[in-house]
This record gives sequence, structure tokens and C-alpha cells, in this order.
Amino acid sequence: MPSSSFTRWAQSFRRTTDASILVVFVAIQIVCVAAALIAPTSFRYLSGPNISVMLQAIPSLGIVAVGVGVLMIAGEFDLSVGTAATFVSVVAAMLMNDMSVPVWIASAVAIVLGTLIGTLNGLITLQFAMPSFIVTLGGLLFWHGMTFLVHGAQSIGFRPDPVFQFVFGGSLGLVGTSFLWLILCCVGFHIILRHHRLGNQIFAVGGNRDAATAIGISPRKIKLIAFSIAGAMAAFSGIISATRVNSINPAQGQGIELQAIAACVIGGVALTGGRGGILGIFLGAALIYTIQDVLLLMRAPGFYLDIFVGALIVIAVIFNQVAGNRFRR
Amino acid sequence: MSRAIYEVRGVSKRYGNVQALSNLNFHIGAGEVVGLLGDNGAGKSTLIKMMSGIVRPDDGEVLVDGAVAIVNSRRDSENIGIETIYQDTALVDTMSIVRNIFMGREMANRWGFLNHRLMREIAIEVLQSGIHVSGIDSPDKEVGDLSGGQKQAVAIARAVYFKRRILLLDEPTSALSVRETEAVLNYIKQLRAENVSSVLVTHNLYHAYQVCDRFVVMSHGQTVYDVAKANTSIEELTRHVVLI
Repeated sequence: MPSSSFTRWAQSFRRTTDASILVVFVAIQIVCVAAALIAPTSFRYLSGPNISVMLQAIPSLGIVAVGVGVLMIAGEFDLSVGTAATFVSVVAAMLMNDMSVPVWIASAVAIVLGTLIGTLNGLITLQFAMPSFIVTLGGLLFWHGMTFLVHGAQSIGFRPDPVFQFVFGGSLGLVGTSFLWLILCCVGFHIILRHHRLGNQIFAVGGNRDAATAIGISPRKIKLIAFSIAGAMAAFSGIISATRVNSINPAQGQGIELQAIAACVIGGVALTGGRGGILGIFLGAALIYTIQDVLLLMRAPGFYLDIFVGALIVIAVIFNQVAGNRFRR
Repeated sequence: MSRAIYEVRGVSKRYGNVQALSNLNFHIGAGEVVGLLGDNGAGKSTLIKMMSGIVRPDDGEVLVDGAVAIVNSRRDSENIGIETIYQDTALVDTMSIVRNIFMGREMANRWGFLNHRLMREIAIEVLQSGIHVSGIDSPDKEVGDLSGGQKQAVAIARAVYFKRRILLLDEPTSALSVRETEAVLNYIKQLRAENVSSVLVTHNLYHAYQVCDRFVVMSHGQTVYDVAKANTSIEELTRHVVLI
């Protein structure tokens, strides 16, 4: 048992989970900005290109993480988001390249497909009362294999018309349009979670499934909606990523699911469900990219990212655990 | 005696080889507090679950206000006006008191957006008017931070706000301190004055004797003793619970 003063401190912090991650995030930003001002030539954190690249990188992870976070708050996991996103965007690219389907329609198909994949994960999980962790682990491998089955191992081009390219992969000054989509998703889901009936019931089902059932909420319905949200957001992120680099590598996508869960956990989403917020998830995703960016700027080898993010996840979980009620019973 | 607002007739329920309820008759009057007593395995919890719509009886019928009713789900019993309060109350620890009170019955506009201000005002009113368990200073407090008695108070306050006619309390005081227990029992009395009926399942005959108007002792899935408070004593009740 940790010392009581630490427990109390952590508890008072928890009351505003979002606020505590915000403090950490701002502190790291201050350190980075200070370092960039002291040594502008060796640490180019504040250079235009660096800021621009970072703001373009965050949405791919951030949009997935928002969907995964909503699902985690409802008490379930989705490990298949990364490979499912790759699969649906490869399907969209094939529709465009092989059948001359307009990019708008192909992308809509991809997002519908992603929603269906999420719903399927939910149906299997709930129908057979299985842990979603296992069901979607199967999904992770399944959609990875399906991508190679329908398309093969070579990269596939994703070349939308200029309007689509601007709307989902263009830039307004330093800020990419994809970043604005991320902000839009965040605001939308924040409103749903905090100010809509659905959000209230997502928290209820994730926080105490039996209590929600006893009061007449259908956990099945709420969880299915959350699964479909995770699938839809994953597909949207897949399209955003494809638009950014104008091609899709069938091998990509694996690892995104764990980074998304990492972003959520760092942002204060409880692994047991029922607790979390969109601001935290956004900052969690942004923090992962900040660390990645700083390491790149310092020319550190890639594995340092894993070390830092890994440590951060464990620290965040310890923090949430101590801050939660578990130690008091 | 008061008119029965809820009655079960000839109800049976079997789990495999175990006959949990066998041809059981039971009724609740308006504004009546019934103590449901009996040793472990007598069928009290099964009866409570059946009345709250979670367990379906194999046989028998349910009458609400004298008319046959179908209670096959939690929704059905909710429509009748039944609320069950368990020892481990149906609250979500990670949510605030307001959000718990309105969980699943949120006040929202037609697009489903919540009316936080109205729900908060009502929650404050509900918490102040009802049971006075000290320490609940804000409806924004997380339920996980409350004591066992405070949680019971919130659950009961929720039931009362949503105009329940019958409260089913399954061992509501077994996890509570003496003071908290006192508060919950007083609250049951207060509700009786407002014509809310209660069924109190407890092992503690002293608690039951303090608030109940009538006692029903169960054994082996049947009611074996049904007596008004005026016609019995704690000693006699103890004999019936222990000896049968």
C-alpha cells in the first residue's frame, strides 16, 4: 500500500483526470519549447517544418484512439483497429484503381465497412460472452491476412481528386486539414460522452454493467454502438493516412492498436472501463508523437520511443490505479 | 388490513433439483412494510428476484391492484413501480451522484442532449428532502467516494424520485454501520407515511421488528408464518425462523 499522502494527492488529481494529463503535457511542452529557444539550431522543435509534420502525424493515431477510447470507457477493447483500417483503405483504393469508383464513394464504402467490422467484433464478443481482447486479437490477424488475400503484399496507390486531397490531406499554413478533422472528432465525441444520453449510458455500462442492467439500460446495445464507433473511427483514420501519403502499405497498421490503447491509458482512460475523457485521449496521442518527435530531433534510435512510451504507460496505469478506489476497500 | 396492491399466487420456481419456491402465496398492502424472514436457502432472494422481474416463475400468477399482470423483465416491474435495492446497490462508482440518479432515465431534449442544470437541481432537492445521511455535500460527488450508508441513501432517493410504489430491500443494512442502519430504517418509516410499501429482507429480527407492520417467515420455498406485528413478539418470530 502506498503512503497515504501520495494516495490522497493522487486522488485529488484524479477528480480531473483530464486536467492532470494536461499539466503533464504542458510541462513537457514548456521543456521542449525552452530547449528549442536555448538551442534553436541543434533542437529544431519550433521550426515550421517540424511543427507541420507533427500536426500531420497526430491525427492518424488520434482518430483511432478516440474510437478505441470510447469503446474502452464502455468496458471493451478492440485490437483489430489497425489492420482493419488498412484492410478497408486497401479495399477503397482497389475500388478506385480497378473499378474507377470516385474516391468519395470508395471512402464512404471503407467507413461503412469499418463500422460493420466493429459491429461484428461486438456481436461475436457479446453473443458468446467472450473477452473482446481475444475476439479482436483474432480480428487483428484475420484482417491482416485478408488484406494480403484481396490485394497482395505490394503497396497500392491512393490518389484522390484534388478537392478530396485538400479536404482530408491538405494544409492551411502549419495546420493540416487532417488535424482539423481530429479536432472535430474530439469535440463531437466529447459532447456525446459528457452531454448526451448515449455517453452517460456508455459510462454507466463500462462502470458497472450489472447496475446499468438493473436500472434498465441494455449493455448489449450500448456496447455494440461503442464497437461500431471504434470500427468507424479506425476506417476514417485509415482513409486519412492513405490520403496523407497517397499510398497504402498492406503491412502497415499493426501496432496502431497498441499505440491507441497506450494513448488512452496515458490519457487517463481506465482499463476496467467507466472512466476517461476525450481531452485526455487527445493529449495522450499528442504526447506519444511529441516524444517521438523529440527523439527524432535528437537523432535517437527508434527503439528509444518504445522505451519511453512503455515506461509512460506503466506510470500512467500505476497513477490511475492509486488514484482509483481500489486501495481503499 | 390494507388492500393488496401486489400479490403472487401459487408461484413455483425450480432450479434443477432445487425447488426454490413451491406454490407460494405472498402479498403487499398499500403503505405496508413487510418483513420477509427465514433462514438461508428459504427462497427469500428468489422471491425478490421474481418480483423484480429478473427471475421468471415456472408456475403461478402475479396480480397488481387485483388484476393479473405479466412481469417478465426488469422493465415490466419498473412499470408497475417496483424498485429493488440490494446490499451491493445498483450504482456506478465511477459516476457522480446526479448521473447515478438519472442513469438510464436521463433528462434530455428531443435529440438526447442532457439537461445538466435541471438534473442537478432535482438531485439537490431529492438529497435534501429525503434521508439525511451526513456527508453528501454535493451531487457532483462520485458515488465511489461515498460510504455504504450514503450509497443506500442515494439508491433509495433515486427510487423515491421515480415514484416507486414498492421498494424491495434485499439485506440493505448488512454492510452498514449502526448509525447508517438507523438512518435507512427511519427512511423506510418515512416512506410508509408517503404510502410507499416496502419488503425488507433481513436476518436481523430486531431491525425488522423496528419498522415492519407484518412479518412473513419463509421456509423451503413456502410461507410458513404470516403475522401482523401486533400479534407477535421478537421471541415468537425467532422461534419460527429458527425452528422451522
